Amino acid sequence: MHELNWGLPVILYLFFGGLGAGAGAVSASVLLRSGGGDQSGPSFDIARWGALIAPPAVILGTGLLVFELGSFQAGHWFRWINLFMVINLSPMSLGSWLLGLFILVSLAYAYTFFKASAKPGDEQHNLRKKLAWAMVPLGIAVALYTGILLGALPARPFWNSPILAMLFLVSALSTGVAAILLARALFGKMLSADDETVENTSAENDSYLLTSSDLLLIGFEVLVVFLFFMYAHLSVGAVEVAVNVVLGGELTTMFWFGFVALGLILPVLIEMKYVLPTLLYQKKYQFPAGMEMLVCGLVILGGFMLRYVVVIAGQVTGPVGI
Amino acid sequence: MTDKPTSLSRRDVLKKATGGAALIASTAAIPGVAQATTQTTKRYAMVIDTRRCVGCHACTIACKTEFDVPLGVNRSWVESIEKGNFPHVKRNFLPRLCNQCEKPPCVWVCPVNATHKRKEDGIVTIDSDICIGCKYCIQACPYGARFINPKTGSADKCDFCLHRVREGLAPACVNTCQGRARIFGDLNDPTSEVSRVLSTNSVTVLRPEMGTEPMVFYIDADHTDERDAARTGQYVRVETHRPNQERV
Repeated sequence: MHELNWGLPVILYLFFGGLGAGAGAVSASVLLRSGGGDQSGPSFDIARWGALIAPPAVILGTGLLVFELGSFQAGHWFRWINLFMVINLSPMSLGSWLLGLFILVSLAYAYTFFKASAKPGDEQHNLRKKLAWAMVPLGIAVALYTGILLGALPARPFWNSPILAMLFLVSALSTGVAAILLARALFGKMLSADDETVENTSAENDSYLLTSSDLLLIGFEVLVVFLFFMYAHLSVGAVEVAVNVVLGGELTTMFWFGFVALGLILPVLIEMKYVLPTLLYQKKYQFPAGMEMLVCGLVILGGFMLRYVVVIAGQVTGPVGI
Repeated sequence: MTDKPTSLSRRDVLKKATGGAALIASTAAIPGVAQATTQTTKRYAMVIDTRRCVGCHACTIACKTEFDVPLGVNRSWVESIEKGNFPHVKRNFLPRLCNQCEKPPCVWVCPVNATHKRKEDGIVTIDSDICIGCKYCIQACPYGARFINPKTGSADKCDFCLHRVREGLAPACVNTCQGRARIFGDLNDPTSEVSRVLSTNSVTVLRPEMGTEPMVFYIDADHTDERDAARTGQYVRVETHRPNQERV
């Protein structure tokens, strides 16, 4: 049995960190898309949900990381502060600073949305727009870094792939979109109850935009997964042996059923059923709320399964030979 | 942990190594090590002559004792490779420790600069007061040489017994090896035993394809692993004597 040095806290961190960073980046880009943040309406609502999801998700994930530290487990509870005493080229060092920065900026960004009366043109308007411009690159950087963290290790052939970071980025954006849509579907009534003036068509347009973006992101994710496995399978040696744990080993079911089938293919098929009529025949976009929640739940579950399988697979495989 | 070289003079070192009867009994001076004052830069290396290893695990125990290593983890250990189909069988031993790589991947990933390769002697050390125990270096090591010390919560591994070597003594495992299978010394000293053994034998390192350029060399090491069993049709079993751990 191989030793699993990184367990559930790290898996959950990669999941929540990616989801939060994705939600933050998507929120800011949706906000900026609506006239640079000047227009009110459903875009603002979506941006608001993303802004409120991002900091708690990333803080929760980062907080879980602390529990996994050997120093914390041995009773040195604040030793992790050493991370912010130096900066070097270790992906973890760069990532820590990046996470710190993201948490601060996303908290400020969420603050501008925090009041129930938040709307374009209020006193936080300018701050919100400026922070949104920072949130897009920061969110992408945090999502990308989680993959670089794992990919930077030649001793872990399963992780040591340039495309793993890309996979994590696309997955982060797609789980971020799903989290926003899910939150809006679950709690949307609470927020927009006082905003009856918003046209329904506009709300549907924005929902359509997000769902079709999600469809596109998942499509890319399928392609990245394909490239990851094609190149690994066609190599010889450690990488080929390592991917066998997923292609025909202990993690096969979890990966192909849990991640690919439930987390990618099924949501893609459901989304296509509702998006394609609008996309191809310009029909009116309708996505039943229950179905939307199901798709979002599946995408989020898939994002977790991806992190789970990748983190475990990287640790149960290693260099071949001695 | 200071990186200051030993303040002992050569005479002190020799005195220490040859002085008391107790010291004679428990330690051995190494030619390459004892010249502490003549050369400032050293390149410590170890050659392990597996032909002389009988798998007695005395090095494992000496290391455990020297550092009070907790149960379940090891800085140094011995693997045994059983292979062949009866009656053509062999059991080989492969003593393992940190390879003190010239290009240490563990050092490059440390986010808090707690581990570094010492310029003055090439030993890779860990400062357990700085280390946060993030386990990134454990993931980065292709040799599975690192572990979390349950007592300190920081990463730990073999450091060629830096505290002994500084004083001109041999590492505990070298000192205790009954078959003189472990040869330790300074590669910058061409007269040291390790230099002579290295230049007059064919040696290999572990996992050279990782590009880490190890400073631990093996004579006649058995590089067989379980994957070779399928190809050769032989029975092969590798035992690492590390609880819950396959060879990593």
